[in-house]
Amino acid sequence: MNFLLTINKKQLIIFTSFIIFLILFIFIFIFLNNEKSITKINNITTNKSDIIQPKFSISGKESEIFITATNGNFLSKEKILLEDNVKFKSKDFQLISDNVIFDRKNFVATSENISKFSSKNTSIISTGFDITENGNIINFKGQTILKIK
Amino acid sequence: MNIANLIIFSFVLISYAVSGISRGIGETEITTDDGIEVFQNEKYYLLKKNVKITSDDFEITSDRVKANFEIDLYDITSLETKGSSTLNAIKYGVTGEGDEININIKSEVIIVRGKDSFLNLQETKMSSDGSIKVNNSLGTFELRGVNSNLQNDELDIYGEYISGVFAEFDGKKQIKKLNVEDENLLTINTENLEMNAKKAVYDDQTNIIELFSKVKIVKGQEIITGDYGYFDTIKNSYKVKSDNTSKVKVTIKNSNE
Repeated sequence: MNFLLTINKKQLIIFTSFIIFLILFIFIFIFLNNEKSITKINNITTNKSDIIQPKFSISGKESEIFITATNGNFLSKEKILLEDNVKFKSKDFQLISDNVIFDRKNFVATSENISKFSSKNTSIISTGFDITENGNIINFKGQTILKIK
Repeated sequence: MNIANLIIFSFVLISYAVSGISRGIGETEITTDDGIEVFQNEKYYLLKKNVKITSDDFEITSDRVKANFEIDLYDITSLETKGSSTLNAIKYGVTGEGDEININIKSEVIIVRGKDSFLNLQETKMSSDGSIKVNNSLGTFELRGVNSNLQNDELDIYGEYISGVFAEFDGKKQIKKLNVEDENLLTINTENLEMNAKKAVYDDQTNIIELFSKVKIVKGQEIITGDYGYFDTIKNSYKVKSDNTSKVKVTIKNSNE
């Protein structure tokens, strides 16, 4: 007989509830972890966006990096906080994060949020990044996972 | 019984779901505790703190790793580790440990450096306080520095410089040629002999170990010294000669001493 038919219903309900509780616990744990890293930047955000769908570019030695986001807010004359679906795109890679501070004068970008990088056969997930020297150096911060196919 | 089956079933189900986020076949996974710094123009990246590189063929751990690439991040040509590094190349039967490990992926050259470093090629064990270099594609090896030692089933060799050639027969790596040098006298131990000299050469075509300069062969209570000697590893026989300036000396130790 199929063993699933022999399962005691009461035990099945208890066990299913346990699995659901476990999954919920894992999701809450991951969510709270993400919230911690966002808090810093949330403190300085304003309710109204200064720029809607901002676009910038960094001209590197070998290629240009295009930066887009849903919203942008001026933190100072040169520094802009890019929010929601911030993308750094070049012919070689794409880097996505949610909150990035971009320095228009020095072409430096910084994020303390979970960032996802992808290029040919490569993906990187980190807890933040810095882009410096006109896009030549990308520093993925904190615990980082790199996968190569 | 039911609950046990249910646990097994759920475990299989959860394992299947989790496998979606773990390393897939053919993938290389690199994890670090303090990030990755990519230098795009210079074509390398630095993996920082508690680095672990896992692929189907090998596993590397280290404090810090520099990965050089040719085209893009995936195309790694060499790895340079620094700080308590380990290597386990399952596919090639190579394991190693040292302060620094350099791996050239294209030329298949592995260099291990630092005190108490070691590199094992299947049954052949190499250790040194200096460096150990193995070229897997050419089948060569080189140990430099104090406390350099090479061991296999038949030989136990100590010398400041040990180099040689190995070949693979039926999946087993065997030494074909050997060159050992040490100004402070090398040591070669076989099952029942101890040999000392400034230089030794072995060739598996002749199965003879030749010894040069300040030769000393110890077999049981018998000690023979001279300027040149050889040991036939098949016949288990040896001979010592001297040049014009000195004589062969045989000392037999008293077993009651």
